[in-house]
Amino acid sequence: MLKILIPTLMLFPTTWLATPKWLWTTTTAQALIIATASLTLLNWSSETGWTSTNPYLGTDPLSTPLLVLTCWLLPLMILASQNHISPEPVSRQRTYITLLVSLQLFLIMAFGATEIILFYIMFETTLIPTLIIITRWGNQTERLNAGTYFLFYTLAGSLPLLVALLILQKEMGSLSMLIIQYMQPAPLCTWADKIWWAACLIAFLVKMPLYGVHLWLPKAHVEAPVAGSMVLAAVLLKLGGYGMMRMIIMLEPASKNLAYPFIILALWGIIMTGSICLRQTDLKSLIAYSSVSHMGLVVAGILIQTPWGFTGAIILMIAHGLASSALFCLANTNYERLHSRTLLLARGMQAILPLMAAWWFIANLANLALPPLPNLMGELIIITSMFNWSSWTIILTGTGTLITASYSLYMYLMTQRGPVTTLITAIEPSHTREHLLMALHLIPIIMLTLKPELMWGWCF
Amino acid sequence: MWRGVCRPLNTLSDSLISGARGARYARCRTAPIRGFSAGKGDDFFKDVESELKKFRAKAAAALPGSDWTPLAVNPALPPERADVVIVGGGVVGWSVAYWLKKKERIRDGVRVVVVERDPTYSQASTVLSVGGIRQQFSMPENIHMSMFSSDFMRNINEHLDVMNEDPVDLQFNHAGYLFLASENGAEIMEHNYNIQRGEGAKVSLLSPTQLKNKFPWINTEGVVLASYGMENEGWFDPWALLNAFRKKAISMGVYQCFGEVTGLQCSSREMMTAGGEPVEFKRIHHVIVRMPNSLEFQPVECGLVVNAAGAWSRKVAEMAGIGTGCKDTMAGIPLPVEPRKRYVYVFHCPNGPGLEMPLLIDPSGAYARREGLGGNFLGGLSPSEEEEPDASDLEVDHDFFQEKVWPKLAHRVPDFQNIKVKSAWAGYYDYNTFDQNGILGIHPLVNNMYLATGFSGHGLQQSPATGRALAELILDGGFQTLDLAALGLGRLFSGVRALERNIV
Repeated sequence: MLKILIPTLMLFPTTWLATPKWLWTTTTAQALIIATASLTLLNWSSETGWTSTNPYLGTDPLSTPLLVLTCWLLPLMILASQNHISPEPVSRQRTYITLLVSLQLFLIMAFGATEIILFYIMFETTLIPTLIIITRWGNQTERLNAGTYFLFYTLAGSLPLLVALLILQKEMGSLSMLIIQYMQPAPLCTWADKIWWAACLIAFLVKMPLYGVHLWLPKAHVEAPVAGSMVLAAVLLKLGGYGMMRMIIMLEPASKNLAYPFIILALWGIIMTGSICLRQTDLKSLIAYSSVSHMGLVVAGILIQTPWGFTGAIILMIAHGLASSALFCLANTNYERLHSRTLLLARGMQAILPLMAAWWFIANLANLALPPLPNLMGELIIITSMFNWSSWTIILTGTGTLITASYSLYMYLMTQRGPVTTLITAIEPSHTREHLLMALHLIPIIMLTLKPELMWGWCF
Repeated sequence: MWRGVCRPLNTLSDSLISGARGARYARCRTAPIRGFSAGKGDDFFKDVESELKKFRAKAAAALPGSDWTPLAVNPALPPERADVVIVGGGVVGWSVAYWLKKKERIRDGVRVVVVERDPTYSQASTVLSVGGIRQQFSMPENIHMSMFSSDFMRNINEHLDVMNEDPVDLQFNHAGYLFLASENGAEIMEHNYNIQRGEGAKVSLLSPTQLKNKFPWINTEGVVLASYGMENEGWFDPWALLNAFRKKAISMGVYQCFGEVTGLQCSSREMMTAGGEPVEFKRIHHVIVRMPNSLEFQPVECGLVVNAAGAWSRKVAEMAGIGTGCKDTMAGIPLPVEPRKRYVYVFHCPNGPGLEMPLLIDPSGAYARREGLGGNFLGGLSPSEEEEPDASDLEVDHDFFQEKVWPKLAHRVPDFQNIKVKSAWAGYYDYNTFDQNGILGIHPLVNNMYLATGFSGHGLQQSPATGRALAELILDGGFQTLDLAALGLGRLFSGVRALERNIV
């Protein structure tokens, strides 16, 4: 872990001491080196257990894919922000990169934490740089509203979690994940125990987000600048999933009954948010709601607590992280040229920018879970295990898959096909940087098709 | 004890109440208690009542249920971001807004803001117009635009009806236009007639005898041919059309902002032509809108700008750099639209032509139409190039009527020898000095500025068609129903005029 953490910490001096001419190059290069170094974490020393050299930070097959995703995303975020931040003064650019790096640092510590309380603290700490990015660098007045929703939804959900963790510490004597996995789960019989159960999970359900508490997500994603949207969609949502997977081990056996309403909400949310996607006029809003839809499937997969459910959840989280981040980058390339995110105004882009249309195509295919991409792997595994849990869920998940396919195709056809609007006939051609960004998003998805064992988690 | 403190305060405030009311409510102690001392001792008690009142008001405002916010924003400001900013709130601007909203297939599909400088429309060409509509043009595009507009206005309640509001009444008088031609204009008139007939306009040619039979009050001396529009021609109330468009567009979600566009922030990109010459392409990314009578302004981030500013379109275009480049480059060609002042005179004729009177246009260019049912008529004349009046204000030249307009009208309609001028006004034509036809399309050098201006006196009548054409251009990628490529901006740079020979 230190080989990841120290270079990340050293990114702070890099950001502040690099000459303005080389600022973006050096930070991107260093972030890429960190990302490459994080790949070594995938070499698990034991098949099922933790890999750690100290009691505080460690990795296991659940957290490693998410860690690698986080480290991989930082150079991509810096690449994506380069253009829209460049008009600002250099110190503000440095501040922006510092915020991204600090977010990265907290996320690494969150995913690498072995103590649940460290995870909780890092979970909360990631809110701060994200809030600053959304409210300071967002584009419209609504960003203040978006920041408020984002902050207070998550805080309100995680305050009960703090209380629950303190209770857990008192009961169990330790909050280390290494130890708790071997302890007997307490029988949850009293009403207070049920509330404790809910308190453990609500923070993560809000973060995922679950359908009923998802209102912060479209606002935050739409108003954030591109790097904010990328990190929100790719990693911050997965914090919720990861947290749920860690906590839910010790919440047995009550979860069998108590999880029902949340599973139903999650499944219903897939269909509802998918249908909302079909009626969206704003491109980023469409992608944001599609994130809610995919995460609904992940939540359902985690809450049924079967090995296949967990595996499907992790695979879908990684694959969705990359695909959603790719879509936000594509939406940003549109926005930087046209200053408008409306779907109706920028149509027929394939005739103008055919290579970018290829990236749009692949990203949308990934979003609609085309075989053999890992998106389909994750979805199929979750749907199968849900079918095993209850046959009736196939109706909801099947309809959800159908709606996902239709809104992904709708997004592709609206932006790339159709009559070429007169507004876009004279836009700037694509930058090499944008092509590189898209390649770095989509090539890992394609490569992960060939070796999904990296993502399967410890249940396989 | 508290009331004892209050009473002197009440008298103090009473003595401050103006005039009679103060005298009525004044109590026996009318003189203020406070002396001339500047001591701070009494201030607390004098101020505390008003301070408490202020505090109570502030607390009531800040409690939930009120719209007080610490980030107080001026509600009159336009939104910070819009997809389409339409500069100019005349009938063309609102028509574009309405059609944009009509063609979005989903609610809030396009965010449209209409920015209008003058909420009273005191100088707008729309409302100062005579309000005529005709199909008798020489360009097929103009004919079709007017035909569609007339059809639109005949069925206006199918299009612009707002729920729970009264139906729209344009007071469309279908009296037709009657063009008279002398010797040297007859051939052109016949040529135009054939074009109009070919495009489907219902026009008829009349010989002098037929003319005399149909309209006995006309003096047919010097008239060789007359062209009479039998259907879809006449006049209507421009205010009604403007308000109908406006109400409907606002009900569909268009934002209306009263402010002046003082600048267009653009980003530019230099490219090379095949011949190696540099060309600069601009893209407007912010429209600076300044609030009326204030220095407060709002940069509106926009996807595209529609220049429907009428007589002032050239100024708006210059903000984007059109016309400010080197003289012999494309960037140096300004938008050839300028305001030209035209007078309209209202006169009363006791025994003038009756209800069947069309809008009569003399071969000399003088025109007259009936106004209302009380024997009033509107008349005017487009001055020749040399006699163009100064367009810096809208002052009316009454001598123009006496010397130029009345003799011609009185010669043509003998009943008009006995008239009394009731009133007059002046309005601007957004005159296209290039070829007196509308300019409709996207500017080649500014990638997101659409223009709908320069209609030179027939903008109001073609506004529904203009709006639809521009909306198709923006949302459908090209003209769908009427192909108005002939009115595009290319002709300004190629020099090929799309001349309209039938200008009133």
